[in-house]
Amino acid sequence: MSNEQNQRQDRVKIHQMPTGVPGLDEILGGGIPEYSFNIVAGAPGCGKTTLVHQFVFANASPERPALYFTILGEPAVKMLRYQQQFSFFDASKLESSIRFINLSQFVLEQDLGAVLEEIIKQVEAHGTRIVVVDSFRTILRKAEPGATEMELQGFVQRLALHLTSWQVTSFLVGEYIEAELRDNPVFTVADGLLWLFQSTERNSIVRKMQVMKLRGQESVPGLHTFRITQDGLQTFPRTFGLAQESGHAKGAHRVSIGIPDLDALMGGGIPDGSSLLVAGPSGSGKSIMASQFIGEGLLKGEPGVVAIFEELPAEFSRRAAQFGIDFDTPQKDGTLKVIYIRPLDLSVDETVYAIVGAVKEIDAKRVVIDSMVGFEMALAPDFRHEFRESLYRMIGALTRLGVTVLSTVEVEESFTSMGLSNFAISFLSDDIIRLRYVSINGQLRKMLMVVKMRGSAHSIDMWEYKITEKGLVIGEALRGYRGLTSGIPGPWPIASVDVDNEP
Amino acid sequence: MNSPSPSIRVWAERLLAVEAANPSGPVAGPEVVRVCERLRVSLAQFVGADGFTALLRRALALARLEVPSLQSARITPAGRLEGIEEACDTGSDVEAAITITAHFLGLLVTFIGQSLARRLMRKAFPDTSEMTESEDF
Repeated sequence: MSNEQNQRQDRVKIHQMPTGVPGLDEILGGGIPEYSFNIVAGAPGCGKTTLVHQFVFANASPERPALYFTILGEPAVKMLRYQQQFSFFDASKLESSIRFINLSQFVLEQDLGAVLEEIIKQVEAHGTRIVVVDSFRTILRKAEPGATEMELQGFVQRLALHLTSWQVTSFLVGEYIEAELRDNPVFTVADGLLWLFQSTERNSIVRKMQVMKLRGQESVPGLHTFRITQDGLQTFPRTFGLAQESGHAKGAHRVSIGIPDLDALMGGGIPDGSSLLVAGPSGSGKSIMASQFIGEGLLKGEPGVVAIFEELPAEFSRRAAQFGIDFDTPQKDGTLKVIYIRPLDLSVDETVYAIVGAVKEIDAKRVVIDSMVGFEMALAPDFRHEFRESLYRMIGALTRLGVTVLSTVEVEESFTSMGLSNFAISFLSDDIIRLRYVSINGQLRKMLMVVKMRGSAHSIDMWEYKITEKGLVIGEALRGYRGLTSGIPGPWPIASVDVDNEP
Repeated sequence: MNSPSPSIRVWAERLLAVEAANPSGPVAGPEVVRVCERLRVSLAQFVGADGFTALLRRALALARLEVPSLQSARITPAGRLEGIEEACDTGSDVEAAITITAHFLGLLVTFIGQSLARRLMRKAFPDTSEMTESEDF
């Protein structure tokens, strides 16, 4: 055994406790370190109390009793009245495993030393292993007029010392604003500092949290979205639950898109585990292509997930049926999941969480996101400015699962240039197909080109296609025209019909 | 918390034996009191006076669950063990001493790991270095 291995083996093993908050253990790097002294901070109403309640109810037992000290903030009666609306609330744990103790009188009448003694007395008397002080800020407010910073730090330090020595895992809940982060003795002493944020933009509320500090373990940096539902807090880690390296080799096989002639243009189909972006104007057949892609997978026994934002699942299925694709039966059989998300205050992370969950649930091999424009519209305004970065993480997370992703994006058609998307997201995709309208002989016809196939040869021709009752059907290569990409082509001079030299 | 492991109990017994063999130390009283005092002097530099007191209080609380005659024992704010006469009177003094010491050592191992705990013990009890070097807790 190497010296380094010996040293690692010698280190104390810190047991981690589950938080009871879906997704949060991953953000924390495994859970809350046992016997740690933690702060949960944030503005009023952002979910601090609910978070610690989830932790307490997930961990308290007769062998591991919890004490919940309430101080001047929300009275215990009201707290219990509201908190029991959450699904995690287990009334049978009250008194046997979780005790509420009101310290308001102590705080009003006594000094910090007496408050500390009372907390220690109660902790020792009940064999306590979990402690919450809510709100801790109230205790410090009481002391603030006369106490020096050193006195406050001494109080917090003694409290932390006693709680930790007593093998207690503790949480101090407090209403703080970010500006207070600097030089605050409470934050200096804490082992863990979890900050909850809440912001309102236009008509939506966005909630995020950040692990600002966590001693002894590697937490996931950055802001993580969370939502409060009837089940309490639900976090959406930026890693999407996929922190581990992927075991999937990308591109080992080709996946048929369900249109054999198009497969041929792509060099044999879409490399499995890669992402394909289908860009085109409204009505150009993007969603039909996506349906054919999923339908083909279902025929081959490959389950699929479709995330739609612009139409209802029933409409999506009905439209596919017009092209002979049955989406109703596989949905009943559990091989197809159609996810319709449109709450208008969505985060990308939350959407991906739903998609990843569905992929894992049915072991999906194919995913469709239809469309990016609808997706962006469903996001809360606060998330839109980070749409591109979020998509980068989303596509990475999905392809890491080994699924092949087809995303559609609507582009505004211009007859002077040919954009790939309005989001500058084409770099995210391994492969790109562009659909567009062209004006030929007084007709508005449809043209398709394979713009990019990462690491693979593909057709460089531009192909006419039609939408028939069988779906999208590839026609002939449009040769003999110049300026096809502008949408208004003209004939090449007869002597120089050579597409390779098109300017 | 579980009872200390047999190896930690053996470790505690040896610390007590070292003190028993050295009755002319600076502190009078039973071996367990002298062990605690030696630990206090040595560890307070590392964990602080309050830190040591808190750990010893916890060790005593855990020991009381196993040795009821320790009910009258207490830890002073300065971190000294007092009031173990009742245990001596009931003839459970040996078990009481081992149990308190073992719980204290167990807490140290729980919080900082056996490697570091061993190093601190070597500093407090240099004459037990051979034992603490070789045994696994």
